[in-house]
Amino acid sequence: MNTIEKDDTLHVGTTLLEIGSLLMSSGASTMRIRHTMNRIAHALGFNIELMITHRALLLTLSDEDGEHLFSRIKRISPHGVNFKMVSGISHMSWNIVDEKWGLEKINKEIDRLKSQAHYPRIIILTCVALADAGFCHNIGGGWIEMLIACIATFCGLFVRQEFMKKQFNPYICVFLAALTASIIAATSKFIPYEIMTNKALATSVLFLIPGVPLINSITDLIDGNLQNGIIRGINGLMLCFAIACGLLITALIFKLQLI
Amino acid sequence: MMLTIIDLLGKGVWAGVAAIGFAILFNVPKRTLLPISILACLGTMTKFLCMNLGLGIIFSSFVGATIVGLCGMYAARKYYGPPLVFSIPSVIPMVPGVFAYNMMLGLLDLSSKMNQEEYIQVLSHTTNNGLKALFIIMGLATGVALPMLIARKESIKRIEHNKN
Repeated sequence: MNTIEKDDTLHVGTTLLEIGSLLMSSGASTMRIRHTMNRIAHALGFNIELMITHRALLLTLSDEDGEHLFSRIKRISPHGVNFKMVSGISHMSWNIVDEKWGLEKINKEIDRLKSQAHYPRIIILTCVALADAGFCHNIGGGWIEMLIACIATFCGLFVRQEFMKKQFNPYICVFLAALTASIIAATSKFIPYEIMTNKALATSVLFLIPGVPLINSITDLIDGNLQNGIIRGINGLMLCFAIACGLLITALIFKLQLI
Repeated sequence: MMLTIIDLLGKGVWAGVAAIGFAILFNVPKRTLLPISILACLGTMTKFLCMNLGLGIIFSSFVGATIVGLCGMYAARKYYGPPLVFSIPSVIPMVPGVFAYNMMLGLLDLSSKMNQEEYIQVLSHTTNNGLKALFIIMGLATGVALPMLIARKESIKRIEHNKN
């Protein structure tokens, strides 16, 4: 089982830190990160102690006699939800346990997972636009409102992606996307046809709602990782605040009554 | 409000479409797209059914999320993947987005209100929306996590291993 020499502790440590930081930035809960890293470390014949925070990871590696071998801290890159990564690492951790993968194979798998492509941009834009049309239907909008929400979302998400590419502050990206989407939805006020502008407006920004941070926040709180839970929750509230600011400015421009 | 079967199915199907949109935004593996949409459809239909029975939106969301969590465990075993990959995109259509930013808008509004009567009205509106958002989110997360908490296993795979 323990095929790895002591000289390799540096490599094992850095690989474990890499796995942990990838999981954290892909949107896994704290408990899952801890379990996955423990599982992999034990399969490789090491004991680990971990401190997991939102933006940094602290790892101490020791052998089975408790002798200290390695400690290091790693900064976690900004978050972007990627469930392909979470799923891939979960598979890999079980392969490491069941098929006794070596370190080289693990690193190769991590590189493969990192190089996996996202869905094509046009497909993401279209599907998210349709998703918002779905939201609009479920709060009681008709076909016209659904179409407006659809177009607004398409443009809003496009703006968000462009600003993300230019590496603006994430809250600014969300604010600008909310502003774009809500302005487009609000212009439907001028169409000479009876339209429930409020419904189109309310759903046009729903694609920005931070569902994963909010759900992960409560999951962490339930698991007892209070600190991470609170931090994730505040991150989610900040994103909600950015959306509300975008909506508020649109309401000022078009003189709409939002509440 | 009477809810016909057609209405219910329509809501379910559109929730499925919404879940697929978010699943693609979250970059899930392709093989999980179909189960995610079915889970979302089931969960949302359960939620609206419960609301129609007069259970209130918070408890209805909780019941819907529990259904998603239970079926998510089954899907995780059948389509190989961690349960959260199936259950999180499926409950996103039930996330109380409108309540959350209504609360934020209310807070912004409160900071500029001087008139006592108006202030109280906006305050009650804001508190109501905020509490609803908070408790619905808690209900969703608890509902999704509940089956795993009861099974007391950290991984769906381990359950299978222990059975063998």
